[in-house]
Amino acid sequence: MTELTTEFWFPPAGQLGWFAPELALIATIVAVVAVPIILGRRARLSACVALLGVVAALLLTGDVGRRVAEEAAAGLAPPGAPPMLIADNFAVFFKAFLLLFLTLVTVLWLFGLTGRRPALARRFAAHSVEFFVLLLGSALGMMVMVSTLNLLMIILAIELASLPSYALAGYDKRDPAGAEASLKYVLFGAVTAAITLYGVSLLYGAFGTLDIPTIAAAMAGGGAGVGAALGLLGLCVGIGFKISAVPFHFWCPDVFEGATIEVATWLSVASKAAGLGLLLRVVTAMGSLDDALAITVGIVATATCTLANFAAYRQQNVKRILAYSSIAHAGYMLMAAAVFVPAASEAEPNLAASALLLYLLTYLFMNFGVFAATACVEWETGSSALSNFIGLGRRAPWLAVPMAVCLLSLVGLPPLGGFLAKWWLLVALGSGAAEHDRLWGLVLVLVLNTLFSLYYYLRIIYMMFLRTEWSRPAPLAPHVGGLVLVNACAVVLLLFGTLGARAVKLLADEYAVHLYAAPLARAAAALVP
Amino acid sequence: MWTIGLTHYLILAAMLFCIGVAVIVTKRNAIGILFGVELILNAGNLNLVAFSRYRGADIAGQVVAMFGIVLAAAEAAIAVAIVVNLYNATATIDVDSATTLRG
Repeated sequence: MTELTTEFWFPPAGQLGWFAPELALIATIVAVVAVPIILGRRARLSACVALLGVVAALLLTGDVGRRVAEEAAAGLAPPGAPPMLIADNFAVFFKAFLLLFLTLVTVLWLFGLTGRRPALARRFAAHSVEFFVLLLGSALGMMVMVSTLNLLMIILAIELASLPSYALAGYDKRDPAGAEASLKYVLFGAVTAAITLYGVSLLYGAFGTLDIPTIAAAMAGGGAGVGAALGLLGLCVGIGFKISAVPFHFWCPDVFEGATIEVATWLSVASKAAGLGLLLRVVTAMGSLDDALAITVGIVATATCTLANFAAYRQQNVKRILAYSSIAHAGYMLMAAAVFVPAASEAEPNLAASALLLYLLTYLFMNFGVFAATACVEWETGSSALSNFIGLGRRAPWLAVPMAVCLLSLVGLPPLGGFLAKWWLLVALGSGAAEHDRLWGLVLVLVLNTLFSLYYYLRIIYMMFLRTEWSRPAPLAPHVGGLVLVNACAVVLLLFGTLGARAVKLLADEYAVHLYAAPLARAAAALVP
Repeated sequence: MWTIGLTHYLILAAMLFCIGVAVIVTKRNAIGILFGVELILNAGNLNLVAFSRYRGADIAGQVVAMFGIVLAAAEAAIAVAIVVNLYNATATIDVDSATTLRG
């Protein structure tokens, strides 16, 4: 029995500086709690404090991004050991992405205070402090998720992102639907988290380390046994739950329907983006293995988008349709993760990574646009049932037209951003298929699924514009702020698809270069002294 | 003489894991399902400590087990709060009767 000792190590300020956005977010959480003690509990105050903190964190992310581009990518690592947290181009993109989305959700929440009916709005505003502590906490967890390759940090990050989300789903305590949604979410999440921990314990047992690149190197050296395979499976359960990939998607529609629209908006994009970021890191680190992992990811992606597209057919609630739509889009993006493995070039942009980043960026705007439009209807009418959208084209044209634009972009029709996102994804899949014949199947799946999905997106548009009722429905007066958000999203999508197409592609390319080059090299150095 | 080694711990953990899964699959009471989750979490913790003691190069496994305990406590706290909330709303904690959301 050897003596087990580890030197105490505190990260130097220089290394902590790479994680200024996370630290800013932590400070914001403290401020959200502390400010009402001095100035009193007011909903708008909490939202403004949170908004300030998030914008500050976004600016700090930009600063870190510039430094990452100048110096080599770095992380939080004791001397001679692999990094616990990684700061690189990839992490910077995802952090900026999550913070941008957090800003939009906060603004939507602010509008919801005035957009809702007064009684409901008062109930809603009563727990603003708790809401923002939970929201920022889950954002913090997601930011850690995309910047680590250490098993302990992965578990902690997934939990930090999940635990507040469970509470957020049941945020409106008097709503039985919310209580049921949060119960389903927490039970499903607890089971997957427990299985993940068990899987991590097996991985640790098989290789004696928590660092995934070191594990991958040992696996490539022929050290993979049954225990390691089971461990990897357990880890994938945890990540699959966050992405809501089939067969871990059951929570998604129920939570979206039961939770308030702001929470559903947040979970629809952020949870999936963070899960995809983590999955991509793991898959790339494991890239030295044969392509069994890629095939597995491809099969899961196929199952995810196909099942989701068919399940969306018979839904009568727009939030539920959107939940299945978000599962389907997670499936499309998983396809990029499947081709991610073969295309591992260093200096030029990784085609799959660039396609994924572009898709995520477009997805943020189209999904937020549709959710914000649904929010406007729900605030006014009290529910998001499909019947509330009948005749919306005449009742509120300024809401219905941009919402239709966002929906068509979700389908992937030109000249909108969604078309371009799908196009570049197809290009990436095609070039991956040139090397691995099996990937041609994914191209077919993507094209067919786009056709399948056409029906349920068009069904909403049909309800809004073509369906006529015997009784003329009353005109709807949507919230002005909500209208601005929805229209802005539609304009951004038009720009992405036309004038700004080149700029967006270049932006995605810029963040798809030199993926995790430095941390992996360092991990290899730690392995071979 | 028999000495208790790594294998014994691993078998115990695997049994705990299987019992946990069985509990989750058969119980229809939300609190009962949480019991099963705790069993699986503790199976993972037991594995980590055993591996760290017998195989690990450092104490990382035991550190993860400490975090695992905290994690289980946090999860139990929030899950029980949500179950109480559901009971207030619907006067039941049977997961089979929670079926308002479907489609």
